[in-house]
Amino acid sequence: MKPGNIPVITIEEETIPLAYERAIREVWEKGIGIKTEYDHPEDPPSKDATVMIAVREPFGQPRFHRSFADGLGGLAEYVMEVVHGAHDYWVKPLEEILKGTESKDTRWTYTYHGRLFEYAVEGEVVNQINYMIEKLSRTGHTRRAQAITWNTKLDPPTEDPPCLQRVWGRLCEDDDGGYIFNMNTHWRSRDLFKAWFENVIAITTLMRKIAEAVSEKTGKPVRLGRYVDICDSLHIYGSYFREIQGDPEKGIKSFFEKLESRSFEERTWNSGFIKPFFIDDGVGKGLRPMLAREKEMPGSVRDAVAEELRKMEEEDYVV
Amino acid sequence: MTIFEKIADAVQKGDSEAVEMLVKEALSTGDPVEGILNRGLVEGMNVVGIRFKNNECFIPEVLVSAKAMKMGMEILKPLLAGSGVKSRGKVVMGTIRGDLHDIGKNIVAMLLQGAGFEVVDLGADVPVERFVESAKKENADLVGMSALLSTTMVNMKEVISGLKGAGLETVKVIVGGAPVTGEYADKIGADGYAPDAASGVDVAKRLLEIRTA
Repeated sequence: MKPGNIPVITIEEETIPLAYERAIREVWEKGIGIKTEYDHPEDPPSKDATVMIAVREPFGQPRFHRSFADGLGGLAEYVMEVVHGAHDYWVKPLEEILKGTESKDTRWTYTYHGRLFEYAVEGEVVNQINYMIEKLSRTGHTRRAQAITWNTKLDPPTEDPPCLQRVWGRLCEDDDGGYIFNMNTHWRSRDLFKAWFENVIAITTLMRKIAEAVSEKTGKPVRLGRYVDICDSLHIYGSYFREIQGDPEKGIKSFFEKLESRSFEERTWNSGFIKPFFIDDGVGKGLRPMLAREKEMPGSVRDAVAEELRKMEEEDYVV
Repeated sequence: MTIFEKIADAVQKGDSEAVEMLVKEALSTGDPVEGILNRGLVEGMNVVGIRFKNNECFIPEVLVSAKAMKMGMEILKPLLAGSGVKSRGKVVMGTIRGDLHDIGKNIVAMLLQGAGFEVVDLGADVPVERFVESAKKENADLVGMSALLSTTMVNMKEVISGLKGAGLETVKVIVGGAPVTGEYADKIGADGYAPDAASGVDVAKRLLEIRTA
């Protein structure tokens, strides 16, 4: 790539952890050094690339990498936030959002669930995921089943606008009379090292939810196909370089040494190991502690999270 | 391998079931509570903390080990009062008012417990008054605050003023979180700054003048 041109990287792997590791390696090795709005003055420029990642089996095992910036219970709560709107009540009122960076209210300006399931337009609220389900159920080969997040009025003035921009899906027929659900997501910007993995666990859980809803509506089996993740800017922040490069003088390993010191099995977990921690991680996070702690969560959302908890406890449910 | 080493090993592996079984076994054979705690549970978590600091393990693994340690602590808790076991210091900690991000604070809390500190975790979005009240009520040696947003870190100064106003000048204060810098910590009058979760324990030990073995 000529100087000043952002590199373009394409990755295809069988599972999420394989794709994740390869993305970190490739962005680290091939990414352009570029400043971001979030860098501290003393940080080196971030590594950045435009990246398309295809995961052939989004629920293939092992599904969980061990490198992410949260605990397992925290990850479970994040999945509930994206799929069921568990934290939509943390969004500040519209009049505060409209103040942009002048607002002193530190609550959030959006959630992905809020934008995908309750997108506000012309005084109405549109459930775009329901639209996708309806559209795919009627016309599986449609190219119009999509949901957007960007709000052209609310997002430009805020300090932290949505990274996810669009979710798109399409059905293909399989050989057994059922469907295969293919899904793409498009991201404006993405923290590869500390957000990508958790985002993908949540968004592929949403992918499965859409597939299940289409199956129920059509009466036909719908299997999950490949998941494709497209980022305009997939980056590793300069502030993470110390963690990635390590410090041999102080005996601190580099991220890649850490990976290489273990087998692939020792740096990943399968869904069976994860499930009890999703229920309750023993240190205050997970679905059960979340329901006990977050008293202000609206009743319908609480019911949806409680139903997820029930399925995890009672059924052969893969997280 | 002694029973204490087995407990420490199970904590490192994050094997809660093994910890539960081994702690019960140790108690049934008359092993001292202090040994089970310090040479088993705390030592196991201490090794996890060192491995984390050296970038040899991942964040979720620290919390999986913390769950295993907590499992053992739950069994020992009723016996600790009469055992004469002393903590290295009492830390009141939380995420500052307006900030709902608590993973950094949670990891520091686990590592502090693993290093033998008693931790009172106030959770996320903690009001200034609650930090002060808890520090007083708990007779804390340290107050730890974290913030992930530049808009919320300004509330840390209010806590420091509140502690002074309540006559708690001797309570040491540590701050940390993504937007916080050493310079900012000095500016607001904090006693210590932890640039990352792993160094939080070292800063706490330094402030309380605890020697690392």
